[in-house]
Amino acid sequence: MYRIMVIDDEKIVGDMAKMALEREGYDVETFLNAEPALARLKEQQFDVVVTDYKMKGIDGMEVLRMVKAQYPETTVIMITAFANLDTAIEALRGDVHDFFPKPVKIKELKASIQRALQK
Amino acid sequence: MKGIISRLKEAFGFPRKNEGPHLPFDLLFQHFREVLDSKNKAIETIAGMADTLGGDYLFDTVYLEKTYGDLYDAMQETIRRFGYLTGNRYPELGALFSRIDGQIRPLIEGVSPPSAVLVVPFSGVTWDMARFIGGKNAALAELVNEAHLNVPQGFAITTGAFDEFMRHNRLEARLSALEGGAVSEEALLELQEAIGQAEIAPSVLSAIEKELVTLRGSEGDGVLVAVRSSAEEEDSEYSFAGQFETVLNVLPDPESVAEAYKRVVASLYTPKSAVYQQQAGYDIRTAKMAACCIRMVEAVSSGVAYTRDPLTGDDTLLINSAWGLGSSIVEGQVDADAFSVAKQPPYPVLRRKTGEKRQMVVRGPRGGTETIGVSEPLRQESSLTDQQIADLAAEAVRCEKHFRKPLDIEWAIDRSGALFVLQARPLRLPGDLEAGPGGGSKQAAAGVSGRPLIRGRGTIVQKGAGAGRVFFLKRMEDLGSFPRGAVLVARNDSSEFIRAIPYAAAIVTDVGTPTSHMSSLCREFRVPTLVNAGNATQLLVHGQEVTVSLGDDGDPVVYEGIVREALDAASAYGRRMDDVYEFRKKRYILRYISPLNLIDPLIDNFAPSGCRTMHDILRFIHEKAVAELVEKARYSDEMVKKHAAVRLDAPIPLDIIVVDIGGGLDIAADSSQTSVDRISSAPLREIMRGMTHPGIWRSEATSLHVTDFLSSMMRMPDITADTGDHVVYNIAIVSGEYMNLSLRLGYHFNMIDCYCSDNVKNNHIYFRFVGGATDMTKRSRRVQLLAGILKEFGFNINTRGDLIIGRIANLPKSEMEGLLEQLGRLIAYTRQLDAQLHDDASIDRYVADFLAGRYDTP
Repeated sequence: MYRIMVIDDEKIVGDMAKMALEREGYDVETFLNAEPALARLKEQQFDVVVTDYKMKGIDGMEVLRMVKAQYPETTVIMITAFANLDTAIEALRGDVHDFFPKPVKIKELKASIQRALQK
Repeated sequence: MKGIISRLKEAFGFPRKNEGPHLPFDLLFQHFREVLDSKNKAIETIAGMADTLGGDYLFDTVYLEKTYGDLYDAMQETIRRFGYLTGNRYPELGALFSRIDGQIRPLIEGVSPPSAVLVVPFSGVTWDMARFIGGKNAALAELVNEAHLNVPQGFAITTGAFDEFMRHNRLEARLSALEGGAVSEEALLELQEAIGQAEIAPSVLSAIEKELVTLRGSEGDGVLVAVRSSAEEEDSEYSFAGQFETVLNVLPDPESVAEAYKRVVASLYTPKSAVYQQQAGYDIRTAKMAACCIRMVEAVSSGVAYTRDPLTGDDTLLINSAWGLGSSIVEGQVDADAFSVAKQPPYPVLRRKTGEKRQMVVRGPRGGTETIGVSEPLRQESSLTDQQIADLAAEAVRCEKHFRKPLDIEWAIDRSGALFVLQARPLRLPGDLEAGPGGGSKQAAAGVSGRPLIRGRGTIVQKGAGAGRVFFLKRMEDLGSFPRGAVLVARNDSSEFIRAIPYAAAIVTDVGTPTSHMSSLCREFRVPTLVNAGNATQLLVHGQEVTVSLGDDGDPVVYEGIVREALDAASAYGRRMDDVYEFRKKRYILRYISPLNLIDPLIDNFAPSGCRTMHDILRFIHEKAVAELVEKARYSDEMVKKHAAVRLDAPIPLDIIVVDIGGGLDIAADSSQTSVDRISSAPLREIMRGMTHPGIWRSEATSLHVTDFLSSMMRMPDITADTGDHVVYNIAIVSGEYMNLSLRLGYHFNMIDCYCSDNVKNNHIYFRFVGGATDMTKRSRRVQLLAGILKEFGFNINTRGDLIIGRIANLPKSEMEGLLEQLGRLIAYTRQLDAQLHDDASIDRYVADFLAGRYDTP
């Protein structure tokens, strides 16, 4: 079973993503900030990390950099309420798999995860 | 015709001749257009919110704040411009808008709006008190005040009183000290004890006393009351069925009611309630309890009525009835009478089963209740006569019509034969479930090979399949040791089982009804459940492995051992987005935004006071803006109007009232109707030319599939069926160059606003289409079809669900006329097409045929 991690500082995003993705048969864990999420990554391998861009403490770009440096096999998808071209370009340079402005259509997120897993 | 016009005038609430400021007509017209512009913007924002908050998107507070901010601005603009248009004739709209806004903003921030009111009689309840008085009170008050049904007199003790109670006794700190998530039983018991010893604040007590004086005044000193829970979130999305205390037969003095009230408040913190709240995603530390105090009905018989069959979703009434008070039924303690009843007069009984009613709950000698045996001859006698069943059915149907959704109703009949509604809450149906993994493909369980221990007996409460070891519950205390994943087998059903329900693989009981509290809970948690299975407790052995298979074929089976095929077959009964508490909490704001309560301008509530949502305000404004324009034009000094509203005599079966505001019709002064060839309004002339194009108006009725029909009947008017631009008639407001056309064709609504002149810069077409009689999938297909065609014509398209908006502007007059003629054809062509769009592939075929001028696609 594929493992997916969702990091977003709003509970509703993690809870909804968990419901939607578990229905697809994924194993989903959610975190409200990056610190415990990164700690969890040390003990458990995840196939996909879906992270919010703007968070208190360690932000989404930092998560992307750390995941890519330490777990290059793990795919990172970024979601953000503050989408602009600069953030998108910055994320793409950091080797993000996909970048979604909020509100995120769940169907598109699922398709993106599927594409990532087929790679 | 004269009748129609006078009714229209009445409905429009036309201003009197000299009322309001005398604006030059072109300025008036400009205000009118500006009202429509900002109103359209608001409607589009609402549609966007309804779509995004529908469960298909991940969204956060930033999105809500921003989008609601947009809506707020558009609403404010609409109200301001409407004020200019009407000379500020509806000043109450501003206050109303603020009142609705006051409900929404705290919810976006994730807090409940505070209640300043402590106690309120049902007759004094207004729509914006719903959260303060809890779901049960809100429903009862609405049934009394608006549906005028027979509900016992009573009052609500609000969450404001609850806050005051907690504050007065310094219990808030103890509450917030509870851990989130699973709370220890010890902490809960301490809190309950503290509540039992607490005192009611004097302000609350005197407010209760005042209401009791009124109650005794009208019902007599001998009256007794019931004090029941009505928690803030109760009955809204989750029923909390049977989770809280109900204290019956309470003396109507403040001290007795206060004691009962404390018991109700304490029941928010029982271990079983804590399990339920945690499982449903609520935070026990922030939950609030309102209570309801109503006159006791001395029930001869009572029970529950479901306005749909909860298992099949069939549109028939399901009534359970027993002697005495209803608690024996809702607690599943009695083999109740069951009736399946048609929902149309004379409400015939389709199926009946008279239960063996061995016991009944009655008023105890010193208040409270007691359970007594039922005398031998009464046990098997029906607890309802056919006449009573018909009366109850009529009342239940009326309730359902009022709330426009399937309901779970508690009722009682007293010694005089009077029928009372005691509670009405939404009924959760199997159709509410989404398919789980496997895309909803339900394999037939026919090939299952296990040995059946029970087959074809009992009533299925929740479909699905579950397997595990039998846990035979002999005593209620044993619930504490119920192992996760076991199959609960018991003699009776009970709402106490909530401590096991979320963890049970399946539940089987000997006795019970599908209308009990436990049954509601099992449906909410989607635990496969079979009740009234007779002797399950004798056939199933404690510790034995079994598979309970409650499938679509309606034949319940309990197999010996773990039967994998049966489990696979039922995997479609999955969880759904509505189970996510945070989602439900945020989506709640839509209740103050998108539903439409102001539907018919010809009925009483069509006034600012009838508005409860942003959508209602917009609906009201549109209706009155049209009326204002028409009437001001009529009395304008610049243009002597002779034809305020005339009927268009068209060669198609379509009634249109044309309101000419100048140069739109070329008819004699005393005409009450016009023919198509007398239309001098360029846009209307072209639209009508298109609609009457040979062969385009299909006259044969398209057959609606029965589910399409049900879908059209039950759908709550909402943004997806926006009647907002439409009076009960089709209306065209026209001048020589302008047209605003509102059409209602069957179940969908079409609005076209167009300016078509020699000045290219002023020219535009705004095309909006929404609704339909069929299910959302078919309606969405029609929207895709319209989008496909409009795009070919060069329109900019926006779609949301079954709403489509097309815009095009700045074209020369000749091109505009060509497009309008095509739009006329398109309206006629797509009139009933949704019922024929059986698959996605048919969309392209119909688009291609229309563009090629072939209008006879089968």
